[in-house]
Amino acid sequence: MVIRRRWLWLGILLLIVAVLLSLGTGRVWLDPAILLRSIVEPEPSLAWLILSELRLPRTLLGILVGATLGLSGAVLQGLLRNPLAEPGLLGVSAGAALGAVIAIYFGLAASFALATPLFGIGGAIFAATLTLIVGRGGTLMMILAGAAVSGLMAAGLSLALNFAPNPYAAYEITTWLLGTLSDRDWNQLALAAPFILAGWACLALTARDLDALTLGEAQAESLGVNLRRVRLLALAGTAMSVGAATAATGAVGFIGLVAPHLVRPFVGHQPSRVLLPSALFGAILLVFADVATRVIPTSTEVKLGVLTSLAGTPFFFWLVLRLKRLSP
Amino acid sequence: MRIRRLANGLAVTFLALGLAAAPASAATLAKAKPGRIMSTNMCNDLLLLMLVPKERISSITYLAHDAVAMLMPGADTGVRINHGTAEEVVRERPDLILASPWSTPALRRLGAKVGAPVAEIDAANSFADIRRITRQIGALVGEPARAEALIAGMDRTLAELAATHPRRTVRVVAWSGPGSVPGKGTLTDEIIRIAGGENIAAKYDDGRYSSFGMEELLRARPDALMHGEDRYDGPSLRDSAVAHPVMRKAFAGRQISYPASLYTCGLPQSASAARDLRAALGKLPAGGVTW
Repeated sequence: MVIRRRWLWLGILLLIVAVLLSLGTGRVWLDPAILLRSIVEPEPSLAWLILSELRLPRTLLGILVGATLGLSGAVLQGLLRNPLAEPGLLGVSAGAALGAVIAIYFGLAASFALATPLFGIGGAIFAATLTLIVGRGGTLMMILAGAAVSGLMAAGLSLALNFAPNPYAAYEITTWLLGTLSDRDWNQLALAAPFILAGWACLALTARDLDALTLGEAQAESLGVNLRRVRLLALAGTAMSVGAATAATGAVGFIGLVAPHLVRPFVGHQPSRVLLPSALFGAILLVFADVATRVIPTSTEVKLGVLTSLAGTPFFFWLVLRLKRLSP
Repeated sequence: MRIRRLANGLAVTFLALGLAAAPASAATLAKAKPGRIMSTNMCNDLLLLMLVPKERISSITYLAHDAVAMLMPGADTGVRINHGTAEEVVRERPDLILASPWSTPALRRLGAKVGAPVAEIDAANSFADIRRITRQIGALVGEPARAEALIAGMDRTLAELAATHPRRTVRVVAWSGPGSVPGKGTLTDEIIRIAGGENIAAKYDDGRYSSFGMEELLRARPDALMHGEDRYDGPSLRDSAVAHPVMRKAFAGRQISYPASLYTCGLPQSASAARDLRAALGKLPAGGVTW
C-alpha cells in the first residue's frame, strides 16, 4: 500500500513541477517574480497577458491531452491484452486528424466552432470501429487492422491535402499534423474539455471488467463481464477523448504507448490499477515534452508531435525487442 | 499568393539557375509581338493583364482570379486558365511563356520543344525590382511604352510619398500567424518604410522571413498589426491565429489589413499600397499599445 501511494505523490509532485515549468518558460523569458506578481495582482500587463491568455490554456490543454492519451493507451492495452496497443496504433489518432482536417479546411469549423472536435470524434469513432470490426480474432489481427486503418486514414489525409481549397493549405495541413500546443486559447480548451471528460468517464467505467479480461475473453464472460459493453465503452471513450484532443492539438503520438509501461513497474500489472497512474504520467510526459519544445533553441519551435515521436520511437523498439525475448 | 511567399525561399535557390538560362532575347521579340502569351506565375499574370490586350493572352494561372478581382475587376474575363503544367504548353502552343525560376523543368523543356521562348521572371523584393521586372516583361511582350507608363505612374506616387513625411513613425509588423513574417529585404519591408512605418521584423537578420510567436509579438509591442487580405476568404489556420483572443484584445483598433497581392507580387500598384498604408497608419490612435 505504501508503495502504491508513493507513485501518487511522486506523480503529483512531477506534475506540479511540469506545470510550473510550463507557465514559466516560453519563447519570451519573463522574470518569475514578475509572473508571480501578475498572478497576485491581475492587471493587464505583458506578463499577465502571456500567462493568462497563452501559457495557462496551453498548460491545461497539455494536461488534458496527455492524460487522455495515457488513459486511453492503458485501457486499450488492457482491453486487447496487448502491450503495443495505443490510440495511434489502432488508427484512432489518424482518424481524428482526418476528421479535424476536413472540418478546418472545408469551411465547417468557420461556420460553427464545434465542428472541429465533432469531426475529430467522428473520424476517431469511424477509425476505431473499423479497426475493431476488421481486427476481430486475436491481437495480431487487431494490430494489422490498426495498420490498415491508419493507412486508410493517411490516404484520406493525402486526399484532403490534394483537394484543399487553398493552395497554401497543403503546407498548413502538414504543419498542423505535426501536433502542437502553442498559441492555443481558452475557447479551444472549452470546446475540447467536455468531450475529453465524457471520454474519460467511459474509459474509467471499463476498469473492473478489464481486470477480468486479463484471464481471457471466455473466462471473463463466464465471470459475468459483458464484452460488448466493455468494447463499446472503450471505443466510445477513446474516440471521444482522443478525437477531441487531436482536434485541438494535431497528432501527438507515443504518449499513450509509453505512459502505461512507465507506471506498471510501480503499480503492478492489474489493468484497473494502471489507469489513473497512466493518465497522470501521460499528462506529466506531455507537459514536459511541451516545455522541451519551448526550451530547445531552434529558430522555429520544434513541434510537440515531432518531439514525442522522436523520443517515443526508441521506446517502441525496446518494447518490440523485449516482446521478442519474452515470446517462446 | 500565399504559396508564393513560401516559394520565395526556393526562388533564391533557383535564382542562379534562372539567370543562367538565357532569357528570350528582348530585341527579337519586340519586332514581332507575341500573340499567344502563356503565363505560369500569378505575379506575371497580373503584369501581363496590365500590359497587353486580352486577345494576345493564351492563358494565365488559376491562382490569379482572386487578385485580379481585387486589383482590376473583370480584367481576366474570358481568359483561359492554366495550372502551370507542361501538358498545357503542348495544348496551347504559346509563342511566349512567362515562367518563374521555380516552374517545372518539364515545362521549360517542352517550351523549347514547341518553339516558345521561356522567360524566367524572378520575384520582386523592392521597387527597383518592380521597375526592372515590369520593363523586362514589357520588352518581352512588345509593349515597352506601356511598361514605361506604368512605371512612371508608380514613380509619381513614390515621389509624392517621399515629398511628405508622416508626423510619427509607427512600429508595425506584417503578422498573419506565427509562420513567416516578412523582414529585411522584402517588398513588404520597403512598402512599410515608404509608408513611414518601422517594420519590427526587419531587425532580425535570420533570413528574409522570420517566425514570430505570439509571446514574442506581445513582447515586441508593435503599434499595429498588419495582415494580408486576398479575395480568397476560405478558412485557414492563419486566420484563426489572427483571431486569437489575446491578439484581438491586445491590438484592438490596431489591426490594418492590406492587399496581399500588392505586397507579395511586385506590381506598379504596390506604390499605391504604400500610400494607402500611410493613410491607415495616420489613422491609428496616438500613443503606444496599452493593455
